[in-house]
Amino acid sequence: MMAFLLALLGVCLLQTAIAPRLAIGGVQPDLFLILLFGLSISVGPELAAAAGFFIGLYQDSLSGAPLGLNAFTLSLIGFLVSGLSEQVKTTQPAWRFALLCLAGLLSGLITLLLLRFFHAPRPLVSALLWTALPGALYTAILGTGLLGVLKPKTNGLV
Amino acid sequence: MTRLLLRYRRTLVLSTALLLAFVLMTLQARSGNSVALITKQILLTSISPFLRVVTKSFDITATVWNEYIDLRRVRRDNQLLREEVRQLRAEVGEQRETALERARLSHLLQLDNRVGTEAVIARVIGKDTTNWFRSILIDIGANRGIQRHMAVVTSEGLVGRVVDVTASSSRVQLITDPESAVGVLIQRSRAIGVAAGSQVGAIQIKYLPVMADVAVGDRIMTSGMGGIFPKGIPVAKVIQTSRPTNGTLFQLIEAQPYADFSRLEEVMVLKRPPSSGLSWAGEEPPP
Repeated sequence: MMAFLLALLGVCLLQTAIAPRLAIGGVQPDLFLILLFGLSISVGPELAAAAGFFIGLYQDSLSGAPLGLNAFTLSLIGFLVSGLSEQVKTTQPAWRFALLCLAGLLSGLITLLLLRFFHAPRPLVSALLWTALPGALYTAILGTGLLGVLKPKTNGLV
Repeated sequence: MTRLLLRYRRTLVLSTALLLAFVLMTLQARSGNSVALITKQILLTSISPFLRVVTKSFDITATVWNEYIDLRRVRRDNQLLREEVRQLRAEVGEQRETALERARLSHLLQLDNRVGTEAVIARVIGKDTTNWFRSILIDIGANRGIQRHMAVVTSEGLVGRVVDVTASSSRVQLITDPESAVGVLIQRSRAIGVAAGSQVGAIQIKYLPVMADVAVGDRIMTSGMGGIFPKGIPVAKVIQTSRPTNGTLFQLIEAQPYADFSRLEEVMVLKRPPSSGLSWAGEEPPP
């Protein structure tokens, strides 16, 4: 628990202070998603969903998003990734990359759909193509590298 | 009940999280509701001190790093600029040298047109190694058609004549050499004499009659007699005259050569073949 809180604090600081400086063409990596992914491949779906909720809440508090938007998205993604990680070899970088990419795209899609419902709607296709997809790719590349270095324990197939 | 909760704990946790998030969003979407805002403020307050410290440290680090990078860049630029200045100075020096050389050669070429005979420009590659003779080495020889007794001039005036020829170089006896003798005339009065070199580097005009009209500043030209030097080449300027009273038949005239022999770099060899027909009183015979 303590490790999770420290990791969350670290990611909050990194996402606020460092990630904007790593932006390429205005697209920055989502370190919260990488943290959640790393956690989700190590724990069960229920813990991953709860962790996603808290991570999302902090992400919401640090952004202009309505509170609960990322909490909702990341809860769902944490749950799904954790469930999927029991079925695929998440130790392999290619799988991690693919899952992270999928998670990023899904996060973008859910966010856009929720924004249509609760907030000002955005053009879905262009937002997915020009914001969600580059963000997901960037996050996936960075996340695969980081997880390769940090080597989190996995709960799925080895 | 507990067993049921445990069995469906995954779905339950997910549903609760999604529901809570949904409720928070709904609450915030409704204007005037403060629950969501308060929650957001609490979360933000819990992290903002750390954020402040990290951002500040990051800014300081970034500033220090940027200054370090700038310093390195300035240092590198400085080195590059120094190198550029060095190169440019060298180029300027070379270009200045080229311009001076061009000017000298241009004067020589103008002279070439004036003398009306084939001429070859040569570079001075050496000077006499003793104090007893006055001669120079030039970088052309028989390979360029140079022969003994050909006249050598600069744009300023007469230099001397070729005395030794090898395949690719020649030695030129200067008119200041003590053994040199050139048939000359005073331009103003047309009085004829012989310009001979001396040990001190000046020229003495010999065999000028006592009654000849010569004054300081008079221009001395080649007379064309002797068959080696074409007529009309400037030789020297009279700097001293004296008429002996002891019954000697000739004046003592001292002249300063027009050509500056201490700064000779290029000369022109006149390829007019030495003539043996014209000779002036046997004073300028081919050696």
